[in-house]
Amino acid sequence: MYKTSIRISVLAYALAAATLALAGDDPGHERHELMEGVRDAAKPVGAMLKGEADYDQAVLMTSLETFASAADQLGGLFPDGSEGGEAAPAIWEDRAGFEAAIVQWQEATAAAIEANPATLDDAKPVTGPIFGACKDCHDTYRIEEE
Amino acid sequence: MPARIATTPIVLKKSSLYLVGTVAVIALTATALTGTTTTDTLPAHSADASAGERIFWAGGCASCHATPVDGKRAKGDDKLLLGGGLELDTPFGVFHVPNISPHVEDGIGDWSMLEFVNAMQHGVSPDSRHYYPSFPYTSYAKMNAEDVMDLRAYLATLPEVAGTTPEHALDFPWSVRRGIGLWKRMNLSADPVFSVDADDDQLLLGRYLVESAGHCGECHTPRDGFGGMMASEWLGGAANPDGKGKVPDITSSGKNVSGWSASDIAYYLESGFTPDFDTVGGTMVAVQENMSKLSADDRAAIAAYLKAVPAAHPTN
Repeated sequence: MYKTSIRISVLAYALAAATLALAGDDPGHERHELMEGVRDAAKPVGAMLKGEADYDQAVLMTSLETFASAADQLGGLFPDGSEGGEAAPAIWEDRAGFEAAIVQWQEATAAAIEANPATLDDAKPVTGPIFGACKDCHDTYRIEEE
Repeated sequence: MPARIATTPIVLKKSSLYLVGTVAVIALTATALTGTTTTDTLPAHSADASAGERIFWAGGCASCHATPVDGKRAKGDDKLLLGGGLELDTPFGVFHVPNISPHVEDGIGDWSMLEFVNAMQHGVSPDSRHYYPSFPYTSYAKMNAEDVMDLRAYLATLPEVAGTTPEHALDFPWSVRRGIGLWKRMNLSADPVFSVDADDDQLLLGRYLVESAGHCGECHTPRDGFGGMMASEWLGGAANPDGKGKVPDITSSGKNVSGWSASDIAYYLESGFTPDFDTVGGTMVAVQENMSKLSADDRAAIAAYLKAVPAAHPTN
């Protein structure tokens, strides 16, 4: 009885470990997590742009760094064979277009970091193109899951 | 997105159209065109093209009539090239969206103002045929004729596009247009759907934009057995006309919008971002892009109206 339960525990542990290992090699999961992080970073910026929160330059710059890091990682998370989820088939059918959409995001983010906007009025014109890049890319390269 | 997207409602139930078609064949006498606008009832209004641009975006004309580019929906200035050509692939057959550019032979350049108003508000073509309600004239019927006239003036300023599109390829019996005459008697009304306080200018404006020009109900309201929008579940969500998934309930009982403030709704229509900072998706992308061209006051009015509409599914 005792041995059996140990065996079950070991088996359960092995299964859990295997599941975790698989998750680490799952680009679909990784890109989902990455985009969730981008969304969370966008929220406080959106609140400032909408006038719901006071402008805070440090908060904006932290979010911009999150965008920059994510934009650099994103392109590598769509290897052949990882089709599915909200990723549109267009990513694999038109890889150059997808890469260009990521570059659009990278460049808009880099320009905003470079501008280092001190006021909300300075931030609006440089954050607009970033949000535009989100929309443009999603419009073509993201589909809604059933 | 593939070229065969359906951005207008094509959700008449198949079984109900059988019925409508059958009744129409029996009742051939009931097909006279009634209630159209005449030279006597057309308002004495000097059409204003710049005012018409607002109506153009509110009405979403480009979403269906702009000619697709490389198989994808038109973007930017290409939205002003209204040569048609989009295919709406529906259970009834394929609708080919026509050319409404000012081209005299291929578009609507030679239409009179009266012909345009009758097409928009009564679903009747210049040669006295019924249009299929894939053209959302059941909503446009609720517009002010003056706004329709302004729209006509604006459309006349857009580039001429040559080329015609094929006839709709519909299956029997909905290939019989006479049935539409009966359908119109049940579903065509200039009256508003939802009663609002006559002193509340913002709600009146919001109702006007949502119920008439914006034709939001065409996709967001479920259809009854005869394919008419159900006032009892107004904006309560419906099957997606393009066949995939559902168009959400946008009343207070809908999970998408219930937690949104009026300013959240207005910001979404302006920017395409939800309060969660997700982006607008699916067929709503083109609609949101149109709404972004309206004034902040117009978007605020739409938001105020949506917050005021009763819950479509109060028990949810």
